[in-house]
Amino acid sequence: MQTIPIERINMNDRRFCISYPLQDDALLSSIRMEGVIQPLLILDKQPHTIVSGFKRIEAAKELGFTDIPCFVMDMDYKKAMQASIHSNLGRVLNIIEKAYCVDKLFTMDFSEEEISGVMSMISLGFYEKIIKRMRALANAENFVKDFVLQKNMTMQNVEKLLGFADHEIKDITEMLNRIHTTESMMREILQMLSIMKLKYGNIDFSAIKGMNNIYDLKRSLKYSINPILSGLEEDLSEIKNRCALPPSIDIKVDPFFEKEYIDIRIRANGPEEVKGALLKINSILDAGYIRSIFGLTTY
Amino acid sequence: MGLQPIEFVETKGDIVRNCPGTKHHICCGYKTIDLVEGCILSCSYCILKEYINTPNIKINSDIPYILSQISEAIDAEKTHILRFGTGELSDSLAIDRRYRLNQPLVEFFGETKKAILELKSKWAQIDHLTPFLNPYIVISFSLAPQRIIDKEEKRTSPLYKRLKALRKAQECGCFVGLHLDPVIIYDGFEKDYEYLIGDIGRIIDLKRVLWVSLGLLRFPPKLFNRFLDENRKNLLYGEFVRGEDGKYRYVKKERVRIYGMLYNLLKEQEKDLFIYLCMERKDIWRSVTGMTPEDNEALMGLFDSRIKTLYGGIL
Repeated sequence: MQTIPIERINMNDRRFCISYPLQDDALLSSIRMEGVIQPLLILDKQPHTIVSGFKRIEAAKELGFTDIPCFVMDMDYKKAMQASIHSNLGRVLNIIEKAYCVDKLFTMDFSEEEISGVMSMISLGFYEKIIKRMRALANAENFVKDFVLQKNMTMQNVEKLLGFADHEIKDITEMLNRIHTTESMMREILQMLSIMKLKYGNIDFSAIKGMNNIYDLKRSLKYSINPILSGLEEDLSEIKNRCALPPSIDIKVDPFFEKEYIDIRIRANGPEEVKGALLKINSILDAGYIRSIFGLTTY
Repeated sequence: MGLQPIEFVETKGDIVRNCPGTKHHICCGYKTIDLVEGCILSCSYCILKEYINTPNIKINSDIPYILSQISEAIDAEKTHILRFGTGELSDSLAIDRRYRLNQPLVEFFGETKKAILELKSKWAQIDHLTPFLNPYIVISFSLAPQRIIDKEEKRTSPLYKRLKALRKAQECGCFVGLHLDPVIIYDGFEKDYEYLIGDIGRIIDLKRVLWVSLGLLRFPPKLFNRFLDENRKNLLYGEFVRGEDGKYRYVKKERVRIYGMLYNLLKEQEKDLFIYLCMERKDIWRSVTGMTPEDNEALMGLFDSRIKTLYGGIL
């Protein structure tokens, strides 16, 4: 092990880097307190190329260190790549780091057997579809990678996101960055955007860009891709408003307006309340509102 | 055409079955004969890929066994005139010229004279069968505007060939069936269907059409994502809801509008056409046709009377 001046290490050469992001607050605190305990692995050439330890050197530099402990090794690029991956397997790799592993192994012409072996170690199946997704993610712009990590996206959602054009991805990530979403909501939104793009050839972001609420966003997208259903929902809501139903009475219609029957629910604490509810129902029946509701499902 | 391997099998299970239909919808009591399983035509919207686990085309080659099963089904039926078809798990004609699978069945129905065999297809090749055709065989084609055939049914015969084959079948003394199924909503589809129905009326003798089915596009949920991945704009252009059977269907308001439009266009061509809706709810039946078959049994009754009207006493 040697102590090497940081300026003699080429920090821009990241061909063996599989870490993302390089900024790590916990590591920064640790190095501030204890220094760099685990030496870097670097290649024996000038300037030195880092094989493993990208996060450590990033933190050390930020803390103003001028030297850093290193193991200097002489090895070919393939061995170096393997060393980089295996030195990171002791921790849980995030999805971007896994993507880097896959992409770099392909870039460096590893055999299918070697790639398959590594993919199995990082819990990825050696399938064309997965490889394609992972390589696309590894080569995506940083804002996309940050978004994927921040939202803890599943592979399925990542694939959907990367299916959009670059300028659309930018708009989508900007829009969704402002909104709290669960995984299933994200899936739903991405699917609706895909349908909108397929149907109309593009996504009209002007109508949805300013939305800060997931429910408004969903409603707006739904209106765009399901205008008939949304129209029926609006009509129903308008009729129900005109009915001025008390909380003890509810009228339910099939959510897809398929079934011809409706459900009328009365919540009552005694005969008098039942009587009151029936009077109210009679009044909306006489006013023709019930017939209007049936008109939404019967043609 | 078609690179799928062909496999000959001798299945000893139920090859003749009731058409599975779909839950909560009215079905017509059709009997399916699983003579071939799998299809080389690979239409983009085809649900077979979801149901059949192998890419192979399986041919059930034990014809005597199949005929015995058909006989049993005919003997067991006391009320209705049975309608059989080989187009449920495959296209009836796509590989028939090469393997001559239908000929023994065609001859069997001609000799038995007790039931009808429908050969339903998108592959307009019937010349090899014409010497054997008889009135108990119904040649049917699934028909769609050429724009849809070009985009979604790429390996099938063009529309004009299907219509010519139907005409030829009529000239051989057969009744024919027309299946406007799946009807797909896309930009400008109304005009295309109007032209299609006009072409049908010009080329085919509509008095000798035994039945016409109408079925709007419907598919299991798994296919939705496939259509999206494959950018199938035509297939996802309309507005879908999940039906009671779990399948995606166009929203009811649209279904009623489109069925009504097609029904009226067809009736304008020939008022006596027998038109049925494939796998639809009874409220849709009522809105479109004015008829309300209460259940599958009632719909089978409608088929019986249609067959009796056209066949007279020979069935």
